[in-house]
Amino acid sequence: MAEIFIDNVRYEFEGKPLVLQFMLDNGLDHPFFCYHPSLSIPANCRQCYVEAGTPVFNRETNSYELDESGERVIRFFPKLMTACSLEASDGMVIKTHRTSELVKRAHKDTLEFILVNHPLDCPICDQAGECPLQIQTYKYGPEGSRFEHKKVHKPKRIKLGPRVILDAERCINCTRCVRFTDEISKSHQLTIISRGDKNYPATAPGMEFDDAYSLNTVDICPVGALTSADFRFKARVWEMNQTPGVDVTNGKGCNIDVWTRDNLVLRITPRYNAKVNDHWMPDFGREDYRRMNENRISRPEVNLDGDKIKSSWNNAELTFTEAIEDVNPSEILVIGSAFSSLEDNYAISAYFNRLGVNDVYFTPHIEAGSGDGFLISDDHYPNTNGCRALGFNEVSAAELKSKITDKSVKAIISLEDDLIGRGVINAGDLKGKFFAYFGSNNNETSKAADLVVPITCSVETISSYINVDGILQRTVPAKETIYTDRKLNLEMSLGRLDRYGTKFDNWVSDSNKVDCIPTWEFLERISRNQNSSLGFNESGDVFEAISSNIESLLGIDYNKIDELQGVQLEISSNKTEV
Amino acid sequence: MLQDWKNYQPLLIPNIPNLHRMDVYEKNGGYEQLKKVLTDSEYSPEKVTNIVKDANIRGRGGAGFSAGLKWSFMPKPDGGPRYIAANGDESEPGTFKDRQIFEYNPHLFIEGAIIAGYAMSITAVYVYIRGEYRDWINMMQKAVDDAYAKGYLGKNILGTDFSIDMYVHSGAGAYICGEESSLMESLEGKRGYPRVKPPFPAQKGLWGRPTTINNIETLANVPLVIKNGSAWYKAIGAETHPGPVLYGISGHINKPGIYEYPTGMLVSDLINEVCGGVRGGKKVKALIPGGSSTPPLRGDQLEGVRMDADSLRTAGSMMGTAGMLILDEDTDMVDFLWRVSLFYHHESCGQCTPCRDGTGFLEKTLIKIKNGEGEMRDLDLLLDLCTQMEGRTICALADAAAWPVRYTVTRFREDFEKRVKNTVYALA
Ligand SMILES: Cc1cc2nc3c(=O)[nH]c(=O)nc-3n(C[C@H](O)[C@H](O)[C@H](O)COP(=O)(O)O)c2cc1C
Ligand code: SF4
Ligand code: SF4
Ligand code: FES
Repeated sequence: MAEIFIDNVRYEFEGKPLVLQFMLDNGLDHPFFCYHPSLSIPANCRQCYVEAGTPVFNRETNSYELDESGERVIRFFPKLMTACSLEASDGMVIKTHRTSELVKRAHKDTLEFILVNHPLDCPICDQAGECPLQIQTYKYGPEGSRFEHKKVHKPKRIKLGPRVILDAERCINCTRCVRFTDEISKSHQLTIISRGDKNYPATAPGMEFDDAYSLNTVDICPVGALTSADFRFKARVWEMNQTPGVDVTNGKGCNIDVWTRDNLVLRITPRYNAKVNDHWMPDFGREDYRRMNENRISRPEVNLDGDKIKSSWNNAELTFTEAIEDVNPSEILVIGSAFSSLEDNYAISAYFNRLGVNDVYFTPHIEAGSGDGFLISDDHYPNTNGCRALGFNEVSAAELKSKITDKSVKAIISLEDDLIGRGVINAGDLKGKFFAYFGSNNNETSKAADLVVPITCSVETISSYINVDGILQRTVPAKETIYTDRKLNLEMSLGRLDRYGTKFDNWVSDSNKVDCIPTWEFLERISRNQNSSLGFNESGDVFEAISSNIESLLGIDYNKIDELQGVQLEISSNKTEV
Repeated sequence: MLQDWKNYQPLLIPNIPNLHRMDVYEKNGGYEQLKKVLTDSEYSPEKVTNIVKDANIRGRGGAGFSAGLKWSFMPKPDGGPRYIAANGDESEPGTFKDRQIFEYNPHLFIEGAIIAGYAMSITAVYVYIRGEYRDWINMMQKAVDDAYAKGYLGKNILGTDFSIDMYVHSGAGAYICGEESSLMESLEGKRGYPRVKPPFPAQKGLWGRPTTINNIETLANVPLVIKNGSAWYKAIGAETHPGPVLYGISGHINKPGIYEYPTGMLVSDLINEVCGGVRGGKKVKALIPGGSSTPPLRGDQLEGVRMDADSLRTAGSMMGTAGMLILDEDTDMVDFLWRVSLFYHHESCGQCTPCRDGTGFLEKTLIKIKNGEGEMRDLDLLLDLCTQMEGRTICALADAAAWPVRYTVTRFREDFEKRVKNTVYALA
């Protein structure tokens, strides 16, 4: 196998890796700014220098030339090389700052130049704490500054578009943002204008940077030049906990990080997953944090003579049980939801199957042509394939409406899906029937319900989804309910705060916790009231039941999902809405 | 050869009135070399390349690279388009020679470019001319139109199956677009950012296709070589750097202008004999031999220095574009260097860090010295900054910005020491 020597250590490689990426993959820290694994390589920041050489090959003897001491003769490139654009070759020798004074000096030199016109306003900069420039300056930068002149001044607080704000003085001209719009989102909305140290990114005159993916530039900007209009100045990164999750705003299921403080989700950023979303996500998925914080259903609600009133859980359980006992199984309509997790859907179908209700119906929320073929799918819901995998009856909106309005149906149980809001039915269709709604957020449908059961949303409990491409993924809780305790929940305690925080920056507030429980927990309680447990003590139990009963999910557990970063399933039917 | 430079008859811009006109050019043997190459079966493309290679025409755009060798890097034709980008961006301060060709002998260049096109199986030539040269762009366009009208350009030239197009393209006022890879970006309608090499233009040039970039004057030499042979050409001027050269001489001299002579001319002959000496009979303080980026030489060290690559390298500079700037003894080198630095600060494309921020750092430090605010340590700082820029960037502009600073500060240090404050730092 081909070999490369980095700082006198031998590594093996296959193919033609780029030296910088190879070093990073092998855990060798190396400074860089402009390089991004998913973008083209402009080699413009000149930060990633190495000394590089190749062994001298003698074609006549068909072997490497050796010196007196029997070592290979290495011919070094006359100039320092940028590791990001340098392809590894067999026998190559690389010297980094660890073994070369020249490289060490060059790293300092470039950083000195970058900082010459940088405002150095970290204390008031949103990027501080997660800033590659800040981090690399600490590690590789010069101690002081020799620049005693006026810095170049450039526009600040420019609204490039509705969601992205530019501070041109902080920009280090890495062109990542421009390359993103050229190569990934292909909107070509950004370019660099002006020349030399007056350079900065801009849109064409009169144009807005309103790319559906514009906020990704904020993530990849290696400094605080691009900030999110929504998130800026809301929180310091070290005050937040970062928990892995899945975007549920459409069928793609982009992998995300959920950033919380005091049980509020403050921002959502994409998390790398080569199979699903690479490093990116659409802007609207990030706005979903509001749904997690605001307009939540907290405490059960019952309809008392036309008025919605808050009720105790006991009362809610009783109301539910009585209403179900009042009717025959054949008079019950159970509606699953492509918006809800596998766990929620399975729990509801398991509960009603036991009562003799064999069919669960669902209506996908697919709008042909509304997607973009990239990370926005035609499917507005994250788990259509999950409902299909559970064997639910996929029906059109019209079919569902006729089922609901059918005279024989007396009780309707619906899992979170705003059927009224999205026009499948209207409130009048539910007249004279018992309607129980399991949901996280208030909407038209919850308003029309006789009983509203507040359930956890995707960031409050483990929730699994099968995306449009048949990839099974799951979330872990990022936010406490009033019944969960982050300190006791191991999965929640993997965030940044726990890994790097001090004992002083623990969450301090009990506010912002919602009074809700997972669907399976509610149904388990009811079952226990009737002395017949479903056997669900935690989400894992539900998933275990799924994976032992549903053929396509056989043998899969949460660990496997985590290990494989999502499990690719065979998806059979691809029925779309009529 | 060198001795009788006084009897030298110009070849690139011969003294023939109205040579820029097609009829006059043709009457004086114009386009005969093209006819020869295209119709004489002896002249295969490889053979033409080899003749040019053997003649050792060294690039007149600055780097002095052998034109024939560069042509031979082009891959075999694959039926797709292939390009020549003829570089007439001419923006290096002190350089104004290609302009003479546009004005006085455009057809020599056109003929040379077509022959080069034949040698490399080129499908189109782009003539990239500095945008400020509005008049000369028009002149070139007229000459190209005339060549089309005569059938020297276009389809099936002179009844052969060789076809080639030529387009005149105007720059938009950026020095950096003279750098070959950023010239290609500019031609493609993009921002003039130099490209990272590899890939080299012969592999992936304009629109990703094989491309050769040559300076206007370089290509104008081609018909001469084809007409008289490589041995004849090599006998002109300096052995390792042969041929006629347009010396663009400016500065504190009595008769500035463009003068055509062989390479290897004594600097002293050019100043004293050709240009009538320094203004006011003063002494030469500095010579910048080939455009503002080439290291300045001290006036008292010019004896025996000749204008060719080897001699200038020995003297500590470069041939560049042969745009010679002569500065007299009254020149303040601090002011001079600041003005040069300002140019490079203004013209850096801003792509790579050491150039983007280094050029400004240099210029601002020079302003400080110029204003009498400088200190001795600033001189070391300047040299340090040069070290941080040289050889560390995507294109050579950072070197072009650093060299004048390095060599002016070291070779004319007394001017700088005179300007800086005599700060004394107590050692604690
Ligand atoms: C910053 C910069 C500016 C340049 N400007 C010019 C120019 O204006 N004209 C030119 O012919 N070459 C210029 N060059 C050199 C070209 O990159 C290239 O080497 C040349 O055109 C090749 O032609 P030649 O081999 O015939 O000399 C420049 C190079 C650099 C680095
Ligand atoms: S705004 Fe940020 S991403 Fe864009 S060029 Fe500047 S530093 Fe790079
Ligand atoms: S060296 Fe200067 S001009 Fe050349 S690519 Fe880099 S920044 Fe641009
Ligand atoms: S990472 Fe910017 S030059 Fe290599």
